[in-house]
Amino acid sequence: MRKSLLIGLLIGSLGWSVGAHAQTDYPTLSQVNQRLQKLGSNSSAELTSLTKTEGGKDIWVLKVGTGELDQKPAIGVVGGVEGFHVLSVELAIQFAEKLISEHADILESTTFYVFPNMSPDAYEQYHAALKYERRGNAVSVDHDRDGKPGDNGYTDLDGNGMITWMRVEDPTGDFVISKKDDRVMEKADRSKGEAGKYIVLKESKDDDKDGKFAEDLKEGIAFNKSLTYKFPIFEPLAGDIAVSQKESRALLDYLFDQWNIFAFVTFSPANNLSSPLKYNAGEARKRIVTSILEKDQALNAMVSGVYNETISEKAFQQTNQGTDGDFFQWAYFHFGRLSFGTPGYWTPEFKGKTNPEENYLAWADSLGWENVYTPWKEIQHPDFPGKKVEVGGINPFVMVNPPFEKVGEIAEEHTNFILKLAAMQPKLEMHNIKIEGIGNGLTRISVDLFNNSPIPTHSQMGESSRWLRKVRVDMNIPADRIISGNKIELIDVIGAYEKVELSWIVNGKGDIPVKAGASHVGFVNATFKL
Amino acid sequence: MKTTKLIVGLAFSALSLTSINANAQEKFFQAVGTPYNPKVEIAFNRYYTYEGLVDNMKKIAAAHPDIAKIESIGKSYQGRDMMTLTITDFSTGKDTDKPAMWIDGNIHSNEIQGGEFSLYAAWYLTEMHADNEFIQQLLKDKTFYITPTINPDARNDFFNEPNTANSPRSGMMVLDNDGDGLAGEDGMDDLDGDGHITMMIRKSPTGRYIKDPQDPRKLIMVGADKVGEYEMLGQEGTDGDGDGRVNDDGVGYYDPNRDWGWNWQPDYIQRGALRYPFTLPENRNIMEFVMKHPNIAGAQSFHNSGGLILRGPGAEEDVSTYNREDIRIYDAIASKGEEMIPGYRYVTVYKDLYSVFGGELDWFYGTRGVFTYSNELMNSYLYFHKEGQGRRNQDELFDVDQLLTMGDAFVMWHEYEHPQFGTVEIGGFKKTFGRAHPGFLLEQDAHRNAAFTIYHAYHTPKLSVMDVKEEDLGGGLKSITATIFNERLMPTHASQDLKYNIERPDYVTISGASVVAGFVVEDEDFNKFSEQKLNPEKISVANIPGMTGVKVKWIVSSGSNYSITVDSAKGGKASWKK
Repeated sequence: MRKSLLIGLLIGSLGWSVGAHAQTDYPTLSQVNQRLQKLGSNSSAELTSLTKTEGGKDIWVLKVGTGELDQKPAIGVVGGVEGFHVLSVELAIQFAEKLISEHADILESTTFYVFPNMSPDAYEQYHAALKYERRGNAVSVDHDRDGKPGDNGYTDLDGNGMITWMRVEDPTGDFVISKKDDRVMEKADRSKGEAGKYIVLKESKDDDKDGKFAEDLKEGIAFNKSLTYKFPIFEPLAGDIAVSQKESRALLDYLFDQWNIFAFVTFSPANNLSSPLKYNAGEARKRIVTSILEKDQALNAMVSGVYNETISEKAFQQTNQGTDGDFFQWAYFHFGRLSFGTPGYWTPEFKGKTNPEENYLAWADSLGWENVYTPWKEIQHPDFPGKKVEVGGINPFVMVNPPFEKVGEIAEEHTNFILKLAAMQPKLEMHNIKIEGIGNGLTRISVDLFNNSPIPTHSQMGESSRWLRKVRVDMNIPADRIISGNKIELIDVIGAYEKVELSWIVNGKGDIPVKAGASHVGFVNATFKL
Repeated sequence: MKTTKLIVGLAFSALSLTSINANAQEKFFQAVGTPYNPKVEIAFNRYYTYEGLVDNMKKIAAAHPDIAKIESIGKSYQGRDMMTLTITDFSTGKDTDKPAMWIDGNIHSNEIQGGEFSLYAAWYLTEMHADNEFIQQLLKDKTFYITPTINPDARNDFFNEPNTANSPRSGMMVLDNDGDGLAGEDGMDDLDGDGHITMMIRKSPTGRYIKDPQDPRKLIMVGADKVGEYEMLGQEGTDGDGDGRVNDDGVGYYDPNRDWGWNWQPDYIQRGALRYPFTLPENRNIMEFVMKHPNIAGAQSFHNSGGLILRGPGAEEDVSTYNREDIRIYDAIASKGEEMIPGYRYVTVYKDLYSVFGGELDWFYGTRGVFTYSNELMNSYLYFHKEGQGRRNQDELFDVDQLLTMGDAFVMWHEYEHPQFGTVEIGGFKKTFGRAHPGFLLEQDAHRNAAFTIYHAYHTPKLSVMDVKEEDLGGGLKSITATIFNERLMPTHASQDLKYNIERPDYVTISGASVVAGFVVEDEDFNKFSEQKLNPEKISVANIPGMTGVKVKWIVSSGSNYSITVDSAKGGKASWKK
């Protein structure tokens, strides 16, 4: 009996290690699902499908924790926010795998929600016969609003199974070939009187004959462009109504019922970990708040410091701090939680190059990476008869997703960061308990409720949100024994390493159990012995 | 000769009247403008529960199958069907092929009479149709989608459960109003069991009030140097959860009119908002219905009270959304409304009421380009035809109840042994007074507001193809020019619609001719045309403005028996045949 269990474990771990080594590219959706099922079979993890997308794909949540999961502060880890960012899915899953197999001790104090892939319909395009960087789900949408949905997507003009770019020789174009790297197209420098020579477009035809190219894609709504914060209404991939999609509604409905999440870590192009969001007093004071609040910026800067100590790669050109309708900003501005985002990977600065494509190609060359670039090749284009049209440029996916063999190290470092963030979570303690008889059977009880953490119980934004509970202190004795002080005390916020002084006068004898906390900061229990 | 004919004619018409309505004639005679012998009898001097409204709607659909049908557009939070009447002359085309008017009421559940007013509009249109030429033509041209209550759960709660005139404003979803982690643990307590939550007062040596010696209903403050007799304890109720506050966590707190998707903002910015736009199933059902009915060009959402015809923007931040051309149309229709409904004023929400995000009328206009008003029904002007101060003028309300409603609106102070306050007195105005019309004012105001929505609907676009001209160009070619005329105030595309390409263009199609080239005519006199290279036989026109038209032109190589059709999402269809 014991023996067979041991053999089973051996086979299990063997199978895992073989699987891990065999993997040379980002997993397919079915491989993702298999790994999630395996994780879900662990006693500390529960795998749930929140909904199925229009494309019939599951939206998974893996809830990891022990004991009273909902009474402990929790971190949400989100991947697949952008479908083309396949790295993000792998980072979320590897985090979950490492958490369960190597860091299960942290589940004593913290619960984790892992949402590995919010864009499975778009994710599939990475493995499809025609590969392109896709954002939208499988819903039919009329992006160019001409009355016909999806009638001008991409066309694989050179038949290489990928959508890259096309350049059309045309004196009215505003692009030229880069002088530093003739593989790269760059804008003509008008300030120096330079004339353009090329029109540059995504590889496509004008299918609907409206003079525009690839403006009505054969994909639906992008998860990361359709949430409520700065919702870019009527724009392509956003649609007419925020949170209109099955996956976005299912996720938000789920999150609004999970009261214990105090922070999110989102793997997506937006980055407030390499450097924090910038506070703007004017924008923070308006009715519609569009700047991080002042105290939260300081908190963001502190966490950012921890990130930069943990991640070995130095930040370069990390200027995306959120885009309209995205998830990362929603989690802070509309859900009141601490929200941290990172792409996990970027091209490091290489030989002082400032053009991102030149920088990327020079770096890829130095590492001998192949299949990152399609040489420009002339083709016949039906919409440009008699003109020279060439297809080529940097291949899809490669600039935002590293070769798979690099993922292990990135996942390791980011797992460490998330664990450090968890270790910093708000922590309530009771100190300086004083129980004094004041005569005639009356007792005065005083106590300091202390937050032993560099993170406050509520972000400044969270203080004004209905969707974070207040810290609640309950005296579990009949109300008529309490002469002064409240049986139920609600506290808006306890700052980092700050305390709130509480005091009651009670009548009579007998133990008084007291409970203080909120699900997103945890609870502390004490018994006052009278 | 002439006289004889006239007399014979008169005799004939009198004869026909008597023979058709012989029985009716004996008992009643038609008052102008009202269906006097309707197929469906509805009393418009009382209120109807959800079931009462639906019962009447079903009767209307059953009695007028050629012009009315009823359907459920989805379920409410508690599972009630949200019933909608579609009213149009089905013999002249599908409802979705005609410009349509959306009418709803009661989004705030205590604002009840929107239900009766919407029902009145449906009843009036269907019952007048047989005899009234204007209504006949209207229903040939237009469609009405009428949903009397879009908050059916809480409508019934307002009537059937204890409430004030202001509760419940939300639906029946129970949330944690007081932030203690518990939901709905301290709701209304109808201590005296009369169905109305009124006020509590208590005798107190430190109280600052006395009962008015000339009118014991009124509590008045004593002079600064006088000793009072009573203190105010607030709303009738108890502290159900022991937190020291009375009735502080009942149903709701949210506001269904902060749940709509144009410039939606979360609760910390816009109190009353929920999770995301259309969190509420009731609003989501309407949104989905409207998205599936792009023919909706006008909308009215009835609220109470104050006697206002409201237009957006709801939020000051949206001022630029409503541009000059559209405001001109809003102004033209609403200023007519001010004449039609005495005492009602036409105002703009954000500057005359309050600045608010996520409202229904802003969604209809902002996201769908639909010209929309919300009428705030009931106005104290209706009581004595004097400019009063509305519900705040207590003295006027006491006078109304004494002179016009004979004491029916007030619960007289009576003693009650309260578990927390000791002996108190409970009394005050009933929930059905103040915001709601008294019965004798209901029908008239319903008619006036229905007439306004009919006028509003009348001015949705009406398209026709006219002035088709041919010109021989030689070489077997000829040009055909046609004018597409819109004979009503509203354009097929509001300027908000044009700004964002909300709705597809209007299509003007020629068939039965071989088209060589097609153009929208920009200036006929100076030969300015914009050519459409792809599919020139089906010209896309961005907009057909109101009270004028657009011209299109084709060059054709053959075809003498051609026809021209117009297909507009909000403007309906029209055709012309040579």
